[in-house]
Amino acid sequence: MDIRFFIIFIFLSNNIVFASPEYSPKEAEVLAPGWSDNIGYKLPEPGTYDLYNVDNAADGNILIENGDNASLHSVMDDKITLLSFIYSTCTDINGCPLATAVFYKIKERLANNKDLLGKIRLISLSFDPLFDTPEVMKLYGKDLLSENIDWRFLTTKSYRELNPIMKKYQQPVIRKYSESGEYQGVDAHILRVFLIDKNKVIRNIYSVSFLHPDLLINDIKTLLIKGK
Amino acid sequence: MIKIKGIIMSFLSAAFLLVSSLTYADETCMSPYMAKIVGQEDYVYVWTLGVEGLGDEQDKLVTIDVNPSSRTYGKVVSVLSVGGRNEAHHSGFSDDRHYLWAGGLDSNKIFIFDVHSNPRKPKLHKVITDFVEKTGGLVGPHTFYGLPGRMMITALSNNGDHGGRTGLAEYNNNGEYIASHWMPTDDDLRGAKKTGKIADGYGYDLRVQPRRNIMLTSSFTGWSNYMMDFGQMLQDAEAMKRFGNTMVLWDLHTRKPKKVFDVPGAPLEIRCAWGANNNYCFTTTALTSKIWLIYEDDNGEWQAEAVADIGDASKVPLPVDISITSDDKGLWVDTFMDGKARLFDISDPHKPVQVFEEQIGSQINMISQSWDGSRAYFTTSLLGNWDKTGEADEQWLKAYDWDGSKLTHKFTVDFYKEKLGRAHQMRFGAYSLYGKNPDTKRLAVK
Repeated sequence: MDIRFFIIFIFLSNNIVFASPEYSPKEAEVLAPGWSDNIGYKLPEPGTYDLYNVDNAADGNILIENGDNASLHSVMDDKITLLSFIYSTCTDINGCPLATAVFYKIKERLANNKDLLGKIRLISLSFDPLFDTPEVMKLYGKDLLSENIDWRFLTTKSYRELNPIMKKYQQPVIRKYSESGEYQGVDAHILRVFLIDKNKVIRNIYSVSFLHPDLLINDIKTLLIKGK
Repeated sequence: MIKIKGIIMSFLSAAFLLVSSLTYADETCMSPYMAKIVGQEDYVYVWTLGVEGLGDEQDKLVTIDVNPSSRTYGKVVSVLSVGGRNEAHHSGFSDDRHYLWAGGLDSNKIFIFDVHSNPRKPKLHKVITDFVEKTGGLVGPHTFYGLPGRMMITALSNNGDHGGRTGLAEYNNNGEYIASHWMPTDDDLRGAKKTGKIADGYGYDLRVQPRRNIMLTSSFTGWSNYMMDFGQMLQDAEAMKRFGNTMVLWDLHTRKPKKVFDVPGAPLEIRCAWGANNNYCFTTTALTSKIWLIYEDDNGEWQAEAVADIGDASKVPLPVDISITSDDKGLWVDTFMDGKARLFDISDPHKPVQVFEEQIGSQINMISQSWDGSRAYFTTSLLGNWDKTGEADEQWLKAYDWDGSKLTHKFTVDFYKEKLGRAHQMRFGAYSLYGKNPDTKRLAVK
C-alpha cells in the first residue's frame, strides 16, 4: 500500500493564467480559477440572489472513517453540506485535488468565523472503493483536518453501494481495465461539487469553471440569510 | 512566488496512474461545461423537421455515421421519429453528454434522447409537454445549453401575444422545471442598464464565459413571425418591425440581467472565444448582415461593436449559423439566401477579414466543425415556412474536409431522397465520451 502513496506539493505561481480546462485548447497550461486567491470578478453580495432548488440530494449507504456503515443523509445531518466526489489517487490537478484544495481554503478563510464554520459540513466521498478503503480515506484527510472544521472523508463498501449514489448525483466515471480485466483505476470523470441545504435539497452544482472558495462561501451565506 | 502563502497543499496520491482523462475538446459550439470529443467524431445527430407527404411525415432524430473508418461511413444508421411535427429546430446536450434535448418551436415539446447507452442508436428517454405552463408562458424552446446538473433553455416567444417578448427557462437534468428568467424590457428592466435606446425583451441564443461570470443572450422574433410564410412576412410591414434588436449581458451566477445592448437587425447565434484571456463573443445580425463583437474592455466593462460586413447587405444574404475555430482565429459564417459559407480571419477580433467563400448549395443554415477544424458539416433548413421552394428547396447534410485553404467534399446525405425531411441542427456523438468503442460498447464502464 505505502508504495502507492506519496505527497504532492502544489506550488502556484502568480504568473499562471487561470481558466477552466474544460474549454481551453491549452488545458495543460492553465489552472482552474479555484486555485487562485482572486476569483477575477466582483462577487454578488450574499443574500441578494436566489439559489434555486435543483433536485433532492440522494441518500446512500457509505462507510465512515472507522469503517462503520452509515447513510449519507445521516452524515449530512442537519447542516449545510458541500459534497464532492473524489478519489485519493487522482493526479489531475484540475480534478479531485482542486475540490479538496477549495474545501481546504474554505476551512482557512472561515478560521475566524467559527459560527459560520459550525453550520457547514464538508464531505469528500470516494468513487474508487477498490483503492479507497476507510483507512485510506482517513489517511487522505489526516493532514487536511483541524479542530474547527467538520470535514468527513467517506467511501463505500463496493460498487454495489457506490453506483446508485453516483447515478443519482449524475457523476459519470470511466474506469480503466487491462486486457486481462484487471482494474487499473479511474480513467475520467467530470468534477462536480454539490451545495446541499439542511433539508437535503441541492441548491447549486459547481464545475471546474467556477469552483472557488469565495463563491461557495457567499452561496453558503446566502442560504443562511434566505433561510431566516 | 508562492500563491497560497504558507500553505503547502498535500494530497495522498497513487504513483501516477495514467489518468488520460477525456480531453476537453471538440465541436467549438458546445457548452464549456461538458466533456468534448477528442479527434474523430463517430456520429452526427441531425434534428430533422418532418414534411407533409414525405416518408412518415414526422420530426425525427437522424443519426449519420461520419467515421471514415466505419463500413457505414456517410450513411444514415438510425432514424428515430417522435410522432408528429413540432417545428423541430435546435438541440443541446446535458452537461454529462448523456442526453440530447431537442425542442419544437411550434408544439413547445421538448424531446430528451438517450445518446449514451448506444451512441449509434439513440432512444427517446422523456418528452416534456408542459413547457408553456411550467415556465409561466414561455413559448418556443430554442437553445438548449448544458450547465452543471441542469439545462438552460432560451425561448423565442410568449403565450400572451405570441410576439417576441420572452425569457429563459431552467430545468434540472431530470427534466424537472426549476425557474424562469424573463428578458429585461423597457417597462421592466429587472435591474439592467440600457446602453442604447431599447430593451425589447426578445430572445434567441445563449452562451456563457464562466470565468468572467457572464451570460449573453441574443434576439430574434416571436411565434407570430417564425411560423408565418416567409414571403408573406416580407410583405407585412408590421411583421417586419417585430424583430429583436438587442443583446443582453447577464450575471451568470445570479441569473440577473446587467446590460442591454442595441444590436440592430436580429442578432442570432452567439459564439464565445475559447482562449484563457479572450474575453469576447461574436454574433451576426440576420437583417443587417454584420458581425458584432461583444467584448470586455480594459476597464472591465462589456461593450458591443459592429466589426465587419457579411457580403452585400443590400442583397440580404441573411447570415444564419456561425462557428468559431478552437484557436479563436477563424469564424465561419453561413448565409442562407445565397447558400454560401464564408470564413473570416478574426485574429484581431475588432477587425475580421473575410479570407474564404464558397457556395455550398441553394440554401444553407447550420455548420458544425470538429475541434481541430479539419472537418465541417453543413445542413439546409432554416424554418419549415421559411425554406426556399421548388428546386431551390434542397435538403441535405454535406460533409467536407477543410485543409486551411479549401473545402473538399466527402459525402452528401440527401434528406428528401431518403424521405427524412428538412435537415436542421447537428450535434456530434462519439463512443470515446463513454469509454466505449463500436465493438464492445462497454469497454471500460462497469
